[in-house]
Amino acid sequence: MKSYLSVFRLRRRMELQYRGAMLGGILCQMFFGLILIAVYRALYDSRPQPFPLSRVVTYVWLQQAFFRMLVASDPDLLDKIRSGGIAYDLCRPLSLYGFYYVRILAQKMMGSLMRAVPMLLFAALLPDGWGISLPASPAGLLLGLTALCLGLLCVSALENITMGITMRTLDPRGIQGMLNLLMMTFCGNILPLTLFPDSWQPVITFLPFAQLLDAPIRLYTGEYLPEFAPRVLALQAGWTVLLVLLGLLLWRRNQKRLILQGG
Amino acid sequence: MNTIRLYLRSMGMLLRSQLQYPVSFFLQTLAQLVMEGGEMMALILVIDRFDHLHQWTSGDLFFFFGIMSVTFYLTECFGRGVTGEFPSMVRTGRLDTLLLRPRGVLTQVLCSAVDPRRVTCIAVGVTALVIGCRLAAVRWTFLKALLFLEAVLLGSMLILALFLIEAIFCIHSVKSVELVNALTYGGRSACEYPVTVYPRPLRILFSTVAPFALVLQVPAAAILDKPLFGLPFWAAFLCPLSGVVIFGIIYLLFQQAMRFYRSTGS
Repeated sequence: MKSYLSVFRLRRRMELQYRGAMLGGILCQMFFGLILIAVYRALYDSRPQPFPLSRVVTYVWLQQAFFRMLVASDPDLLDKIRSGGIAYDLCRPLSLYGFYYVRILAQKMMGSLMRAVPMLLFAALLPDGWGISLPASPAGLLLGLTALCLGLLCVSALENITMGITMRTLDPRGIQGMLNLLMMTFCGNILPLTLFPDSWQPVITFLPFAQLLDAPIRLYTGEYLPEFAPRVLALQAGWTVLLVLLGLLLWRRNQKRLILQGG
Repeated sequence: MNTIRLYLRSMGMLLRSQLQYPVSFFLQTLAQLVMEGGEMMALILVIDRFDHLHQWTSGDLFFFFGIMSVTFYLTECFGRGVTGEFPSMVRTGRLDTLLLRPRGVLTQVLCSAVDPRRVTCIAVGVTALVIGCRLAAVRWTFLKALLFLEAVLLGSMLILALFLIEAIFCIHSVKSVELVNALTYGGRSACEYPVTVYPRPLRILFSTVAPFALVLQVPAAAILDKPLFGLPFWAAFLCPLSGVVIFGIIYLLFQQAMRFYRSTGS
């Protein structure tokens, strides 16, 4: 356990390194956020919806702020799969899956936190109707944060499944690219899940992709009332466990039939 | 003319080499379809929920989306050298070899890469255009078709010019500057919707620095018979020329920047 913790700490420090590149990324993300909000404001002008605009705006800002949590992936692992360097990792007295799970977890957590804090500050300073609103209730905030942690565990498990598939296909651009895009669509990044047709809601909120950011955001905005939180959190935890088990199984099978690339 | 023949021949060569791995090519093309399909699905869902956007009907919105994606992905397909490869050329020093050959640097960069996987994105754009024309009941005339071609062609020049800004930064700083993405990809995302929906600062940005509004949207609105900014039909032929102007300015800056190019030496 201690060794996993130190891998986590190391990786967390790594992610803190490139602050210059981060600034450009943050500014870009803010610009995208402003554009999206301008569109939704105009759409609300044309035809108001049963839920308030401020909820959609808050949704957009939170999605933009934690964008990094969705897209961060481990470039070293990709290299190692292609170059055969993964053989060295097999020598470590750690589970291969656990080692990389902890690494990606640290990377996604630190990467998104560093970007989220300045972005949310910026979003809080914007005038009414453009900026992020306060959480619906203190309980909503706490539950949202808990759900965000579960979402982080869940997205790391998803990432490891994608990587498990990459170990077989060796090319990350085909099926994996598609999986990532499915995730971007159904986690609410391209269009808030709340704006999907009402009849779709039961299905899309059940999918694992909705557990990453959509569930925490809905708890924060009060769309999910605190009374329903246990159900939401249980669903998140359930998916996380299931995805971790699936990933473990996939990685173990990969390890059995492992063919190293190159020398 | 010689340059164009050179470009076409390199395109042919590159295409043949990309098709050497058909399965990988097919899967990547499919991934592109999911990407642009996702964007279009978002638009369909938005229209399903909101029906219209200010004075623009659902058909108009599809048309604006379509003209933007067709132009953007045509540029990404045939201008891949500028839109994708340039930063890595500078970083690895591959650009040096281009300086030795008796052709312009930009020509050679353009000849160095093509991205046929974008064909599915272009197809999605065309679908949006067809749906848009149907829903908005566009009456095509010869002049409108000409206007459409002009918009797409000059729109590509504008997009190339915006990517060249990134190239210029890259020449000076070696590292690619993500911030320029706000203009290129940000411009694409923003101008999938008519600029009239945006607040004034964004409207100004997209009519001067990155004039997607003038190059693509004024012609699109004229084709839909709903003049943008109240401009008459003939003006729609003049507005896209701003794309050429921007391209000219940035091309000069690019030439200037190349004089400061220092090889990374690797």
